[in-house]
Amino acid sequence: MKPILHVRNLTKRYGKGCPECFESTGPLRETNQCPRCLSILACRGVSFNLFPGEVLGIVGESGSGKSTVVRLLHFDFEPTEGEFRLSLNGNGNPDRAPGIDPAQNLFTLSAFRRRQVRNDLMGIVYQNARMGLRMKVSAGGNIAERLLMAGGRHVGRMRQRAADLLTQTEVPVRRMNELPRNFSGGMQQRVQIAKALSTRPAVLLLDEVTTGLDVSVQARVLDLIRSLQQELGVATIVVSHDLGVIRLLTSRTVVMRHGCIVEEGLSDQILEDPQHPYTQLLVNSVL
Amino acid sequence: MKPSLPSKAALIPADWRDSGSSARGRYSYAFLDEGAKREIRRKMLKAVAIPGCQVPFGSREMPIARGWGTGGLQLTLALIGPDDVLKVIDQGSDDSVNAVNIKKFVRQVTGVTVTTDTRAATLIQTRHRIPEEPLRPHQLLIFQVPIPEPLRLVEPSERETRRMHAEADYSRMWLYLYEDIVKFNEITVAARYPVLVNRRHLMDPSPIPRWDVAKLNQGEALCLFCAGREKRIYAVPPHTEVAPLSFEDFAFRVEEFGERRCGRCGSTGTYLDEVIDDATGRRTYSCSDTAYCEKIRKRGGATRPGGSGEAPS
Repeated sequence: MKPILHVRNLTKRYGKGCPECFESTGPLRETNQCPRCLSILACRGVSFNLFPGEVLGIVGESGSGKSTVVRLLHFDFEPTEGEFRLSLNGNGNPDRAPGIDPAQNLFTLSAFRRRQVRNDLMGIVYQNARMGLRMKVSAGGNIAERLLMAGGRHVGRMRQRAADLLTQTEVPVRRMNELPRNFSGGMQQRVQIAKALSTRPAVLLLDEVTTGLDVSVQARVLDLIRSLQQELGVATIVVSHDLGVIRLLTSRTVVMRHGCIVEEGLSDQILEDPQHPYTQLLVNSVL
Repeated sequence: MKPSLPSKAALIPADWRDSGSSARGRYSYAFLDEGAKREIRRKMLKAVAIPGCQVPFGSREMPIARGWGTGGLQLTLALIGPDDVLKVIDQGSDDSVNAVNIKKFVRQVTGVTVTTDTRAATLIQTRHRIPEEPLRPHQLLIFQVPIPEPLRLVEPSERETRRMHAEADYSRMWLYLYEDIVKFNEITVAARYPVLVNRRHLMDPSPIPRWDVAKLNQGEALCLFCAGREKRIYAVPPHTEVAPLSFEDFAFRVEEFGERRCGRCGSTGTYLDEVIDDATGRRTYSCSDTAYCEKIRKRGGATRPGGSGEAPS
């Protein structure tokens, strides 16, 4: 099977950088800050593929660069270096984001085109609902925003679509016109999921979706994500520091430390038989 | 070889230079110095070349306060020549304080003829209205603009709104209208209705009523907009598409006056102001465009002079 998403050599550096940056940082040096120029390499040389319908986990401790990776893929900020390709041939809907060349590095697209790709082909759910939702706009309006950006100009149809999505994500439709800031944390996450799915994305990015929710709500949100993922078959990247989430949702996992991928493999294998010392530590430190 | 520009003195009409009357000789022709006028003209050309795009310019101090039409006045002064005929309107009226003072000032510093007749004017400076009589190709319409940024409503940051314009990212404005429909089941924007110019730039048409927004589309006259305080010039050239934002199931609508007609001239089909008599509480309507109303009255009233401007109830 051909991958839907290719990431090659993804690097994000904060600071001016120096020739020694790459040598003096990384898991072997136990830091991601260059001691000479004090630049921080949030992620460096990250490469992976995502296959159609697959759920890939990115796991690692705080500051390992896992959120940076997905947020770079969502064009939230510019990478220092790297390639990002989407090949949608046969996967997803070809008439959206027209003219996306599978050989094109999406990081070199114009801001306008990147926004188009992000809106039409990608959905993201952030840990903090404030980043993914407009708190002063109704829940239905939040979902409609993506439809409007994609060129939707029929209010009735957009409201119907928003209602359908909220039903799918188990948000009471009667609360569609309320502001999301009046919602509970779990419900905000479900509205975010509905918003992310509104344009039928080819890739779904979940950035620490259940962190900060209490355990029972976590379970409901995870259940929802799993059933929606199975139903829609959308290729998904799950970022988490919680190995339980990784075990429940993902089929394949990459482990990150100090901005690098240190281990990659099937989730079961990583969790049962970790090879890299850091992964062993991670698995052993689960309560 | 450098092309020779006319000397500063040659640009100024002869009688202006020689005369000894009060304003003459002490100020440049049309108040602004030649450098200022040249800059404003250049920025206007740029604005015309990119319809609807806001062009920054060095707004000058004027002898009226910011917010009283300094933007429109600077365009008027940069454009006006000795042969021009000026009309200034404020909310449709030729006689309100703002209009009268601007007219007086421009006449003092240029000596041009002023008029209230839309047909006779070559230069019309306006606040909040477009005249009822259709404009003609040789005429210039200059709008005074309080807030040139249509996205200011949804985004306070100038840097962000510029990015949104650059990327034609107007979904936030669409979302605003969508939310309006969700709350009130209609679009409640009464003035400053956002329009898309030439299918590219979102533009604030200045606080004209929706009634006048439709007149901007494929117009005959050049429309120039200027905000003095915010230091922005933008333009709608003649025969340019100006489309108010609207949804397939919630179309753009202008104000409806039904069977109401002007109480003074009897016209229907004009933009009407509601007038409530303080003593009797009676509600009447009259044309917002006073010059047009006067013209119709002099002609003996509109086709059905028997009608009254009173509201049905």
